[in-house]
Amino acid sequence: MAVIEVKNLKKYYKVHQKEPGLSGSIKSLFNRKYYDVKAVDNVSFEIGEGELVGFIGPNGAGKTTTLKVLSGLLYPTSGFVQALGYTPWDRKPAYQKQFSLVMGQKNQLWWDLPAIESFILNKEIYEVPDAQYKKTLDELVELLDVKDILKVQVRKLSLGQRMKMELIAALIHSPKILFLDEPTIGLDVVMQKKMRDFIREYNKRFNATVILTSHYMDDVKELCQRVIIIDKGKLIFDGALDEIIKKYADHKLITVVFSKNNVELSDLEKLGEVKSFEPPKAVISVKRASAPRVAARILEDFSVADINLEEPQIEDIIREVFTGKDFA
Amino acid sequence: MRKYLTVFAVDWQNQFIYRLNFVLWRVRNILRLLMTYFLWRGVFNTNVSVFGYSQNQMLTYVFLVLLVQTLVTSAPSSDNIGGEIGNGELSNYLVKPVSYIGYWFTRDLSSKLLNIIFASVELTLLWLVFQPELQIPVHLLAFVVSCILAVFIFYFLNIATRFVSFWTPENTWGLSFLVIILIETLAGGIFPLDILPHWTNVALQFTPFPYLIYYPIAIFLGKITGIYLLRILFQSLLYCAIMYYFAQIIWRRGLKVYASEGR
Repeated sequence: MAVIEVKNLKKYYKVHQKEPGLSGSIKSLFNRKYYDVKAVDNVSFEIGEGELVGFIGPNGAGKTTTLKVLSGLLYPTSGFVQALGYTPWDRKPAYQKQFSLVMGQKNQLWWDLPAIESFILNKEIYEVPDAQYKKTLDELVELLDVKDILKVQVRKLSLGQRMKMELIAALIHSPKILFLDEPTIGLDVVMQKKMRDFIREYNKRFNATVILTSHYMDDVKELCQRVIIIDKGKLIFDGALDEIIKKYADHKLITVVFSKNNVELSDLEKLGEVKSFEPPKAVISVKRASAPRVAARILEDFSVADINLEEPQIEDIIREVFTGKDFA
Repeated sequence: MRKYLTVFAVDWQNQFIYRLNFVLWRVRNILRLLMTYFLWRGVFNTNVSVFGYSQNQMLTYVFLVLLVQTLVTSAPSSDNIGGEIGNGELSNYLVKPVSYIGYWFTRDLSSKLLNIIFASVELTLLWLVFQPELQIPVHLLAFVVSCILAVFIFYFLNIATRFVSFWTPENTWGLSFLVIILIETLAGGIFPLDILPHWTNVALQFTPFPYLIYYPIAIFLGKITGIYLLRILFQSLLYCAIMYYFAQIIWRRGLKVYASEGR
């Protein structure tokens, strides 16, 4: 069953263009030139209950805009969107009580008060019954391990602690759908990992549908079985993460460390595309099918201290997808 | 209803964080009262009656301005609306089952309550110090009713002005400043409006401004009575409705162009 259904979604912004300098400013007072920015351009997808989907794409690709449309903040230019049977931009309380939007860049907590006050306020806004509130809060506090900082002024918390509190505030009404926009931005590696573990746990425990955008491939790699790649407003891939590798990565990487310094670059270039060569180490990219054969030849022809055969990094594949290499 | 009570309670706590800010704000109000108080005192040194006001009436007017201004036209909370629209903070509320307009009204009420408590104490102290003879209220109930209507008129007028940020997210400071000046003078916060030529008064009743400060105080002083009083109260009510719809229309249109930037 599809929890979220998006068909031919378009969102264009009118943006006014200003010529540089003071004279440009004066001109723009009287005569503004507008042009359309296609933030989301004809995107369609469906998401089922309990799925954990990653939205990836470079800055300005349209990921956040899509999330904003789904949470009812923006009216689309055209297209059909339905979530849990509601049209998001009607902003029906019945829908609003079932989702949550978390933006890593800003907060909803009251800056000068302890976080617990914001939780209480959200409890009332979402009309959560006392017993359920207590149960949910206890559960989240335990999962995120924040018991001793509940009563500390939000401004005194570290970024990581604050992000945890943000999550609790966003989850106090037990939403069925969770939109997470860059939830790990600015966090250190340890905190990033904790955040990921939490998101996975939340998805499993409550069978919640989660859509996540992130710049960190690790977030997506570790969490999402399914990814949607958006670039320049267009959807360019929708499927399992492994499929990206199968679909786009037609080569493997061979990393060799030679035991003698008598290897010439020209010798290696015969074998495949040399990605790097810093004696005694070389990285060679070869066709997937011929990889075992090339590896065998290297072992035969040279004296090798170490050899390693691997799939290309997912980051590299996606970077190549974005930089316009035509895979179709 | 319960959610707005909680908003009220949380805002109430929040106010005590900015103690210095609050104290300075109150000091500003007292200084302004002292200024006009001594100005009129000076005028009445040589006159028995000025513009049809006796000294008692005028000093009462000055005292009441502090009270009514505190109740009606002080809105330290909802002044944030323009900024929230510009920087995308508004998104926080739009995704929740809560009315943005109701939310800020509640927060305004919370700060109004705190301010009224302080204004009452200040006025009592000032009265004890200067011992002016004040006029007793003529229509206390009508005064209270017109003050309550004024609170609503001002709120809707204020947020409608702030909502202009939807179209010019860069800033609405210019417009807000204009409205502040208009409210200070045209609402009667600096001098009673009936000292102006008669035609100005007739014209001003077709703007929302005199309903905010001048008419409530004039009712208190007994300058407005009988049928005229009923008419003014009715017009206040009418303005309440007009400003409400005005604010609503701007709000709905604004949401259509809202881009939730910076988030």
